[in-house]
Amino acid sequence: MRASVAGRFVGSSVTRVEDQRLLTGKGSFIADMTLPGMLHAAFLRSPMPHARINSIDVSAARRLPGVYTVVTGEEMKARTNPLLNFAMFDGLYIPHYWALATDRVRMVGDPVALVLATSRHVAEDALELIEVDYEPLEAVATIEQALEPSRTTVWDKAGSNVLLDTSQQYGDVEGAFAAADRVITRTFTSHRHSNQPMETRGCVAEFEQTTGEVTFHSATQNTHGLKWYLGMTTKRQTVPQSAAWLLKHRDRLQRFVAGARAFMSENKESLGETDNSGMKYLVKKDPTILRHMARSFVGLVAKDRTRLPEVKARDIGGAFGCKGVFSREEVAVCAMALEFGQSIKWIEDRNEHLLVGGQARDEQMKISAAVNDDGEVLAFRVHLTLAEGAYPAAPIAAPIFAVIMKVMMPGTYRLRAFEFNTRIVATNKGPYVAYRGPWAVETWVRERMLDVIARELGMTPAEIRLRNMVTMDELPRKMVTGPTLDVRMSARTTLERAIEIADLDRFRAEQEAARAEGRHLGIGIATYHEAAPGPPDFADNVMAGGFISAEPARTVLEPDGSVSVYIQQMPHGQSHETTFGQVAADELGVSPEQVHVKFGDTSVTPFGIAGTGGSRAGAMTGGAVTFSSRELRSHILDRAADLLEASVEDLEITDGAIHVAGVPSIAVTFADVATAVARDGGPGGGKLETKHDYDGGEGGWAMATHVCWVEVDLETGFVKIPRYVVVEDCGELINPAIVEGQVRGGVAQGVGAVLYERAAYDDDANFQAGTFMDYLIPTSMEIPEIEIHHVETPSEIAANYRGVGEGGMIGSPPAITNAIEDALAHLGVTITEQHLPPSRILELAGVIPAV
Amino acid sequence: MSQHGETADISVVVNGEAWTHTVEVRRTLADVLRDDLRLTGTHLGCEQGVCGACTVELDGAAVRSCLMLAVQADGAAITTIEGLTNVDGSLSTLQAGFRDAHGFQCAFCAPGFLITAKLLLDENPAPSREEIREAISGNLCRCTGYESIIASIEQVVRSASQADTTEVNS
Repeated sequence: MRASVAGRFVGSSVTRVEDQRLLTGKGSFIADMTLPGMLHAAFLRSPMPHARINSIDVSAARRLPGVYTVVTGEEMKARTNPLLNFAMFDGLYIPHYWALATDRVRMVGDPVALVLATSRHVAEDALELIEVDYEPLEAVATIEQALEPSRTTVWDKAGSNVLLDTSQQYGDVEGAFAAADRVITRTFTSHRHSNQPMETRGCVAEFEQTTGEVTFHSATQNTHGLKWYLGMTTKRQTVPQSAAWLLKHRDRLQRFVAGARAFMSENKESLGETDNSGMKYLVKKDPTILRHMARSFVGLVAKDRTRLPEVKARDIGGAFGCKGVFSREEVAVCAMALEFGQSIKWIEDRNEHLLVGGQARDEQMKISAAVNDDGEVLAFRVHLTLAEGAYPAAPIAAPIFAVIMKVMMPGTYRLRAFEFNTRIVATNKGPYVAYRGPWAVETWVRERMLDVIARELGMTPAEIRLRNMVTMDELPRKMVTGPTLDVRMSARTTLERAIEIADLDRFRAEQEAARAEGRHLGIGIATYHEAAPGPPDFADNVMAGGFISAEPARTVLEPDGSVSVYIQQMPHGQSHETTFGQVAADELGVSPEQVHVKFGDTSVTPFGIAGTGGSRAGAMTGGAVTFSSRELRSHILDRAADLLEASVEDLEITDGAIHVAGVPSIAVTFADVATAVARDGGPGGGKLETKHDYDGGEGGWAMATHVCWVEVDLETGFVKIPRYVVVEDCGELINPAIVEGQVRGGVAQGVGAVLYERAAYDDDANFQAGTFMDYLIPTSMEIPEIEIHHVETPSEIAANYRGVGEGGMIGSPPAITNAIEDALAHLGVTITEQHLPPSRILELAGVIPAV
Repeated sequence: MSQHGETADISVVVNGEAWTHTVEVRRTLADVLRDDLRLTGTHLGCEQGVCGACTVELDGAAVRSCLMLAVQADGAAITTIEGLTNVDGSLSTLQAGFRDAHGFQCAFCAPGFLITAKLLLDENPAPSREEIREAISGNLCRCTGYESIIASIEQVVRSASQADTTEVNS
């Protein structure tokens, strides 16, 4: 609840400020950028899933008119540091790799050489002139193959294709299983699918002749993170070289030591919990990692901050997680721009994006449930196997998502005990990246399994959930895995509302009647909660420490009386310019038009290492904008009081005019205040400016229940969705139309995932879905109308906003698959896989023989 | 833009303005619009005619500018997203409908949807929801689930009919 202001804009569906440029073709996407004399990049990519590179001949390509140069893997390796990964766990082998493949290719699409030419057309012509002698190796295409002990390894130093094998128990698992009336076990498989934003990846390295430095423009979700990562990976120098630099620039060394000390003391608690067993394990497996880390980190420290590439991003055509990766292509382009003193542009094509732009959800989960015959679920024992592909995405790869899967899997159900076993395996497939709710398989499997349990016990899906889900009066209460379900945890409210809305009794009658006509109707329910961004103890349970647990906002009164709000968030469809403008406008008492939200330029935005992701923006940036604006308001009122010779307590702000309450004629404007501040100078150097870092306060969960109705046509195998309901709670809605857009978009991607999309590979790991004719994105004909109901749990908490971007895609796969099983269960169909295109539906229903 | 290989001269009218231009014959209409005329509002999503982001109006028909060579457009009149805006820079009724109904999120697909919607409404000023759904089914959007795009076109229809009524009354 906002105590201090009337709240005229928060809560209303104000139109988007982004639209003036985006609807007129004046947006500024990365592919739109052009610089005089810039070179165009194209990557030669491996046609083989796994092979040794015996030789590579680029001489003919280099001779092609218009080609500036061709860079091979060995040449790239000599000039860059490898891509390293930051989330380390004991027992996890993390391979490091370079921007280009060197001696071996490990997936179809592996970049092998980089051509720089005067146009993309010429660069692609040159790709065809490069000769590579590949010696094929046995490939690893599936989880089953990855688990074969004699299989060829993707990463030899790992010793096998199992990169992590770990287990954790919460509560008395053995006891719960021994006490249960029965144990039900199923294995569920989720298929590899892919984010596929409409805009592919791309970057432009702008070489500045005057400074010899690069300004790096990229369609990235994380500008500051990318800046530091490029600083680590490019301009490689040895440790002695860096050390010599540091000794020559003692001030830099001192600054680093002082910074490190401050960081250690600020994060004493979380650092204390950080064990370095992951690092130790990795060094044991591959001692060379120490050299690379030392070169990367000491090199970064030695570099002058002002000489790190500033990263800039403007409009981004969607991402859903895949543009949070620091990519090999970005490292290659930046490094070569610095190497050759040239500006370079790279725009990925759709085939490349389907191949290597990021895939996700390649998982298998075996789950055993200890249940009593009255429907009480006592415990789960889960075995996850996650196929990460060949190259772990930098800086955070799949293993961290596996940890979130573990922590979230119990949902809001009262489990007594829980066991989670994680196996991460390497395969010769594209990089596994974050995709909208990267841990969502836990919700899919749990909600699917609850239906299985209900069916075995003769209960309904609603009954099994109501029997086990925490009620509001039990709150706060800890999940068996640790995080607190706080008093705003309304998952059960959303479930109860959804059941009411769905009118299940009437549906059952309709289903019965339809069956008599040979029509197959079904209904599916799924409830989840997600960390958006989670209560304070969520981060502690996912990874020790909260290094990245605050979001900054800087709010500035400009000379013309407008207000600039600088954030490190990097919007790419979420409409942050509009929503944070609304938040700031309400705090300041001005119209949103008077507020300009500034993002995407590391030279002016406040530092933050997380970019946009993890559903942090609503609660954390929303709070940071609230408090920095509130503080700015108070400074503005102080100065206005001087100007008006009035007491601050008597002042009000109405539509940007600051006046004595009840006396609108005695007023000054924001511009008057700015002028006065500029004239007087003072501590702010003639500027009013505030900055606030907000850790999210109580943070909190977002939650929803999805209900999906299906009609399955057993002539064609097509699944129609006549109705779809979402009942959600993401706290206070800043802009309802934007919230609903996020929910609908997420559900649409879930519909695509279950019924259409698959990043298919054959059994030798050859990619089979390299175009939009093979990888099917649903159209307007496939996506149902989605009915949304909001629950807003009242709270006195400041900035009671929570993230809403990911949930649509977390709730929809279980709701849809549950509905399909409900429609076909009377034919003996059980659904244990997530991808259900028409052919598979017909196979499962026995209409056509299974392949 | 450097020239390699065979070139040809083409004359086109783009958003009401006549251009004569030497183009490399292998370059697509989208390449020439974006790189040579700097009309970057037309976007390339897949470059194989599936996603529809590059759709432009060419002599009254919706055309995938990624599938058409620029030389094939010689003599044609073309409208791109930039040509939809009012002369004074304000949003046209079509664009305003998408703003008012929160049509897009990232809006990378917007150029194709706007041109497709324009051509639908040119032909059928009062389409039903199902007609709209079908008319936009050749364009992909990854953000919205399409409902807001359909609602936007309905909003355009409402605004246009209100404007007509106002015109008749005044």
